[in-house]
Amino acid sequence: MFNLNFKQRLYQRYWQFVSNYLDKRQPAGSTVTLVQKLIFILPTRYGWWFFLLIILMYLLGTNYQNNLILLLCYLLLSVFLLSITMCYLNMSGLTLSTAKPAEGFVNSDIEPEILTSSAKQHMMLQFSLVQHSQLITMPQLERSVRFSFTGKERGRFALPRIKISSQYPFGLWRAWSYIALDQIYWVYPTPMAQITKDNDVDIDDKPQSTVQSGDTLTPYRPGDSIRHMVWKRLARDPFNPVVRQQLTSPQAAPNWVVVPALTGEALERALRQACQQLLTLEQTGKRYGLQLPHQTLPQSSGSTHLQRCLQELALC
Amino acid sequence: MLIPARLVTIWAVLQLGILLLLQQAFAVWMMALFASMLVYKLITHLSGRPAIGLKLVNLIAAVIAIALMFNLRQSGVLNFMLQILLLAAICRLLALKHSYDARQLVWVHYFLIGSCFVMHQDMLVALIIFFAFTVNLYSHFYLFAPSAVKVQWHQTGRSLLIILPLWLGMFLLFPRVPPFWQIPNAKIASSGLSDTLDPGSIEQLVRDDSLAFRAEFDGAPPSQDQLYWRSYLYEDFDGRRWQVNAVRKNRNRMPNITATGTTDNMQYRIIAEASRQYNLFALALPSKVNNDVYIGSGGLIKSNKPVSQRISYQVTGANTLIALATDNERDINLDVAEGNAETLNFARQLAKQHSTPAALVQAISAHFNQQDYYYSLTPPMLGSNSIDEFLFDTRTGFCSHYASATALILRAAGVPARVVGGYQGGVWHPQQGYLAVRQREAHAWVEYLYEDQWHLYDPTAAVAPERILDSLESALTLEQQQMLMSGWLELELLQNLRLQLMHLDYYWSVWVLGFNDNNQQAIWRNLRQHITLIAITFTTLLALIFAGFVFSWWRNRPLNSTHAATLLIQRQLGKLLQSKAANQSMSAFLRQLSAQHPTQRDWLILLTLSYEQAVFNNDTHALKSLQKQLKCNSKRLKILRRSIKNT
Repeated sequence: MFNLNFKQRLYQRYWQFVSNYLDKRQPAGSTVTLVQKLIFILPTRYGWWFFLLIILMYLLGTNYQNNLILLLCYLLLSVFLLSITMCYLNMSGLTLSTAKPAEGFVNSDIEPEILTSSAKQHMMLQFSLVQHSQLITMPQLERSVRFSFTGKERGRFALPRIKISSQYPFGLWRAWSYIALDQIYWVYPTPMAQITKDNDVDIDDKPQSTVQSGDTLTPYRPGDSIRHMVWKRLARDPFNPVVRQQLTSPQAAPNWVVVPALTGEALERALRQACQQLLTLEQTGKRYGLQLPHQTLPQSSGSTHLQRCLQELALC
Repeated sequence: MLIPARLVTIWAVLQLGILLLLQQAFAVWMMALFASMLVYKLITHLSGRPAIGLKLVNLIAAVIAIALMFNLRQSGVLNFMLQILLLAAICRLLALKHSYDARQLVWVHYFLIGSCFVMHQDMLVALIIFFAFTVNLYSHFYLFAPSAVKVQWHQTGRSLLIILPLWLGMFLLFPRVPPFWQIPNAKIASSGLSDTLDPGSIEQLVRDDSLAFRAEFDGAPPSQDQLYWRSYLYEDFDGRRWQVNAVRKNRNRMPNITATGTTDNMQYRIIAEASRQYNLFALALPSKVNNDVYIGSGGLIKSNKPVSQRISYQVTGANTLIALATDNERDINLDVAEGNAETLNFARQLAKQHSTPAALVQAISAHFNQQDYYYSLTPPMLGSNSIDEFLFDTRTGFCSHYASATALILRAAGVPARVVGGYQGGVWHPQQGYLAVRQREAHAWVEYLYEDQWHLYDPTAAVAPERILDSLESALTLEQQQMLMSGWLELELLQNLRLQLMHLDYYWSVWVLGFNDNNQQAIWRNLRQHITLIAITFTTLLALIFAGFVFSWWRNRPLNSTHAATLLIQRQLGKLLQSKAANQSMSAFLRQLSAQHPTQRDWLILLTLSYEQAVFNNDTHALKSLQKQLKCNSKRLKILRRSIKNT
């Protein structure tokens, strides 16, 4: 927030204001039809130039007292005015509705989809998500619009407002609308391979290790519980703190994926590993369950079960 | 975004068209240069070669722009602006790559198309220009729409219906303002008479069949021999050529003299074609004019600026003589210059025999009439003593010869006299109610001073009275008439067509070109006068439309909510429906019935099925079979109804 320059901060403020206004005007719904109160229209830059042309024509016609130039000027003006209506009519009546929530992993592409339908023709529509750069142009209306962007962090997110705009027919006016849909998308933790016992931390030099079977030692990361700290090792080597970690090793509980109660980056790592485990378990076709600090999903299998488990991971 | 190849072709052709339309603003070498650039673009584009690089095009543009600058003085500011604009457009097209370049191009096209109207106001050309506008609008649409999008003609038609009243309403009602500032005019060769009258200049002019002006009269038009349209006064004579005196060239207005004791006031309106001259046309003595014109010295009507487009003005005038303005005017009209000695002698002899100017003029008429003088469109060439040669040698001349000879004789005889240039007669079109005066009607005659008033005298009337009473054609031999006709015009059909077009053009110039703030104020006045009527009509119309909407809504409403099949079933079941719960659906009720009456179960189930088919699938076949089933089982239905009644 502090490294944004003044312009960006101003834009943030502006956008905050606009979205408050929009939230009051159009709360998110599962089906939204574009009507008059949702459509905004203003001239484009070319529209202003066109207006200047009309003024120039008027001056030319008046100064030469030439009725034909005035006629042409008024014709341009009527085209200009009519394109407001045409631009509006081209937008109104479009219905957007929610589709199945999109899902994906962190740092991979997520492709949320919304459904579009209408009783009439709509041309030259452009779809984009607010504060995303992707722009989808549709010469003619199709059944659905599929956006694509990269998931940044895990969780369950509401789709940002969808900006629909059109410059039909002459590019003189831009009609646009910010539509909020009750559409969500899921971003799951990226699957990460298991940390096995013998990599990461070298424990060979201490055969009388306090490490219990099924546990493993990993370097301390912020968020790891202090109760798991291996204090003896810390006394010997204070710059490389090590924690004892309860691992959800397959042999210990073959069909239970366990996420221990952690916070911060340690939790993230555990979740990523859990994700990988879930995916491999689903591939083997066995029944499996998920144990989270506050919740347990009973053993089952199938894609719905996997989805449910992944969603719990994303929310954890 | 890529620009569709088709559009580039359209623009190249459009620019060629604009070049042709603006041709008057361009010197020949510019035309050739611009046209060749465009043709080059067309050829390279059609053969699929890429656009020229921007640097090269900028270089070419700079070189041509400098050349145009050097030509600035000759072409004038307006033409220079048009040249630069078109040059910019062509160069833009040559190096066209991006769609934002194309937007600028379309914008400039609009402006150029508008400027075409500075040069052309004819109806036909105006239609062509509006067509060019449509083409540009079409290309504008495809500049923004992907080429997959088709123009929807249905929607376009509807839009036109909205645009037309909006457009014309704005034209008729939008306030008009006077010009904001002085603007440069196009430098174009002038047409019609000029400041000098050579022997032979009018003969050239009458071969031109184009229109000089039109006149409408309040009341009946004057007779043909009274239609002397004064335009120029030639008062300086150098022995061969007549010229307009410097006094007439300044912008002196005629002192406001109200014609005394005259009752035959004339009211007429002139619609003059663009001539790029100051001088306009009037009959006898005008006393009042409107618009951008004024009455200059000598009773001539002049425009404030060169007439660069059709203008119309209203004149009130009297059919009286023009009075002498100053003593200086008398003096300059007595100057006989050097040379033409024989004529001067002849004049002095005549002066001895006839004392009054009127008698003198009579004598001159008699001289022309009785001696063999000829009226001809092709008089022989004359030398420096042109009037001597004409009077005593060739004896063949056109109106200017007779007028200048007469003026010189009168001056030599001591009567101030001058040559008047203008138009005589015109073709009256009774149906359309206007007089068309063409360049063909160009004429020269004489005014002489008597009792401090200028009297009109036309020597041509003595030689060729048909010219004055009828038309030029009737005064010429058949052979010379042929010379006036150019080739294809001889076809009667084409001539007829041309005449009809001229009439259309007349209405065009009266209603479109001549529309001014006076007309507009009249419209507003009319609107205000009939405001109640308009309001009543408008509200009635609105009410009717509203009623129509309500009616159609009312008719469609019940059909939409209840299906025909439901209505049918409701009618047939009648009292059975009393046991149906309000929130129970019809098909559920039918199923319930079939459960309650096991004996009737089979056909009731079938009925339910076809009912459902009819309602939910909107199936017309099912509806028909439903009707059939109901008819077949009407007796059983009756039994059912009775059983309900009994319980």
